[in-house]
Amino acid sequence: MMLQYFERLASRLEAKIQKDSDKPNARRKFALEIAKLGARLYSGEHRVAWCGVAAPFDMLSAMNITSCFVEFVGAMLAATGAVGTFLEESEHGGFAADTCGYHRAVIGAAIKGVMPVPDVMIATTCPCTGGLAAMENLARTFNKELFVLDVPSSDTPESVKYLADQYKDMFRFISSRTGESLDEDQLRAAMEKSNRARELMVEVYRLAQSVPSPANGQSLANFGIVMALFLGTDAGIEIAQAYRDEFDEMIRSGQSGVPEERVRLLWLQNRIQFKNPLIKMLEQEYQASIVIDELNDITWEAIDPADPFTGIAKRTITVPFNGEVNRRLNHVRGLAQAYKVDGAVNPCHWGCRQGTGARGLIQAGLKELGIPVVNLEVDCVDTRNFAEGQLRTRLEAFMEMLRTSPSAQTA
Amino acid sequence: MSQERPRWIGHACSYTPTALIHAAGFTPYRVLPMGDSPDRAGQLLHDNLCPHVKRILDRAMDDDLPDLYGMVFMNCCDAMRRLSDAWRAAKPDHRVALVDLPVLTEESAVAFFAGQLKKLSETLSEWKGQSFNQEDASQSIAKFDEIAGLLDELSNRVHNGTLEGGSFRLQGLFNRAATEPIDLTVELLRTVVKEPELPAAEHNGVPVYLFGNVLPDPEAFALFQSCGVHIAGDSVCTGLRAFSRVGGDDSEQVFVRMARGLLDQPRCARTFDPFHPGKIAEDVLAEARACNAKGVIAYTMKFCDPYMSRLPAIRTVLREAGLPLLLLEGDCAMRSMGQQRTRIEAFVEMLR
Repeated sequence: MMLQYFERLASRLEAKIQKDSDKPNARRKFALEIAKLGARLYSGEHRVAWCGVAAPFDMLSAMNITSCFVEFVGAMLAATGAVGTFLEESEHGGFAADTCGYHRAVIGAAIKGVMPVPDVMIATTCPCTGGLAAMENLARTFNKELFVLDVPSSDTPESVKYLADQYKDMFRFISSRTGESLDEDQLRAAMEKSNRARELMVEVYRLAQSVPSPANGQSLANFGIVMALFLGTDAGIEIAQAYRDEFDEMIRSGQSGVPEERVRLLWLQNRIQFKNPLIKMLEQEYQASIVIDELNDITWEAIDPADPFTGIAKRTITVPFNGEVNRRLNHVRGLAQAYKVDGAVNPCHWGCRQGTGARGLIQAGLKELGIPVVNLEVDCVDTRNFAEGQLRTRLEAFMEMLRTSPSAQTA
Repeated sequence: MSQERPRWIGHACSYTPTALIHAAGFTPYRVLPMGDSPDRAGQLLHDNLCPHVKRILDRAMDDDLPDLYGMVFMNCCDAMRRLSDAWRAAKPDHRVALVDLPVLTEESAVAFFAGQLKKLSETLSEWKGQSFNQEDASQSIAKFDEIAGLLDELSNRVHNGTLEGGSFRLQGLFNRAATEPIDLTVELLRTVVKEPELPAAEHNGVPVYLFGNVLPDPEAFALFQSCGVHIAGDSVCTGLRAFSRVGGDDSEQVFVRMARGLLDQPRCARTFDPFHPGKIAEDVLAEARACNAKGVIAYTMKFCDPYMSRLPAIRTVLREAGLPLLLLEGDCAMRSMGQQRTRIEAFVEMLR
């Protein structure tokens, strides 16, 4: 089912891109690579690693391993509208509905045999306890050993060395289970590609800060977190370049992502992964543009190809959602200022302790900058709990409040 | 015995290096999720966080704590990390340390955790204004190991049905040991251990193995007893698991020794063996069988990911072994435990 879905999606996107070959087609190219990745994962022809969110995907690419964080499958199932069956499967299996919907969906998919059995499994302690537990459950379901990357919270030389050494162990683990060995030249090349994609993504984000912004509610949805899967590859560079070119062209031609942009919004955490009318409502009824997602940022320095383990360890440890909330709050505040946002939307994903758990602190921290936050009670994956009317009312009230604020009036 | 007023350092997790806190000249104080503080944690923490951390924050916001010199949090799960964040916001004048806790127990994790403990020792020394040495730490370890040994002995008596007052009384002793100065605790426990044991045949409850996370209220154990449950073995965060021996000796660097002792202690669900995913299920079964339990009671906090996520595998393994499981989901309030009475009684009836 999933293989056909991804193959059909890829072929549709390729046709569209070919038809409009004179355009950058940024979002289509991004979606195409997602479809191709999905097809590779489900084809049975590639070495597959199911991973935690903070796994070093560019390193794994260098080892010819098709890797992906498992939450990706939860999000895809939600996007296709088929997630309910899998959520119910996991709940029938005893997984509480109070746990994260991404993880319940993927566990349900594994129980129903809709997840390919991986060659290896690489869990990460960051970003969340629930994700690690989900990986352990999947490993038990697949009867696979788990390799765990224990990501420390503090950015100290000791922590960086601890994690860097684990990457070396991870390669030994993968080699012993797959027979694939690590080619140092391939690793170096992957790091150079990661760095090139990084440079381009920095440009993309800089362009998105323009007033009005070339970004809108759809263009960069899930971009930062999914781009991690394409780091170290040519595809990652191509996607980032397409976005850079598209945004550049839009700015030069005076085109904005949302026509007559009036309100600029920061989206906290993840997007709601299933089809819903909220973003469209914000754009059409309020000319409100989501100019920045919290997860769309480059927070790491270029990796030294001669010492990739240290660089990637530092990259992982310093992601804003690792460790104490102040790191995340400082990052969010920085984004709010850089993108000149009027307000923030926080979809408080039910079941997310690490992200949603801190919502009171995030709200208070943004309030100090005069940035109001609307908290939405939602499960970003579970369509069954989507209270559209209530969410619409909350957003409408929030937008009315923003429209009367001085900053929005001058926009 | 020192007459000096204790300088309390609060903590909230069984993995806290209490001997290190003591060696630094402080008295560790486990902030238990008990009392009648009003629900205020929701101002800072989302409703979907576990009642353990919310109750602890309620106590802090209600000033229902001794005069703490500081708080040491273990980075053991998302909820505890968020509690440390919220604590800083609610109590900006408090000193707070967050210590990374590996999920694995292999040698590299022990070495890293030892480094974390060394860093904590430096923080504690800074708070105290004086340093301490390996000998101080060894002496503290010896004291805490003695407490662990005494509580282990009393715990065995409860399991054998030979301690007057049973598990209700033992939980009271656990709570006192977690919150009172160490010398008082040692004295108290030595006295209790010297008491004559009851004849083993006097208890007539159904032997049950209890596991889970936070269950500090002695009334909960009174409820079990009144329902005909005999706790024949247990593993909960607020019981013996919070008082494991560090062990080892002075041949090993003290931080490595402590790190190894803490990581090797009986495990909370958040610590696991990646080469045997879901092994906690087999461990629960083995422990239940070792104490000849006729059934298993799991007591877990609502919204506790580490336990909620492992329960399906535990349920399956116990079912396959023919051992009934009763799951009680709690919120740190006895009123919700009381509502479970009928279920516990029915469970006991079934096991008889």
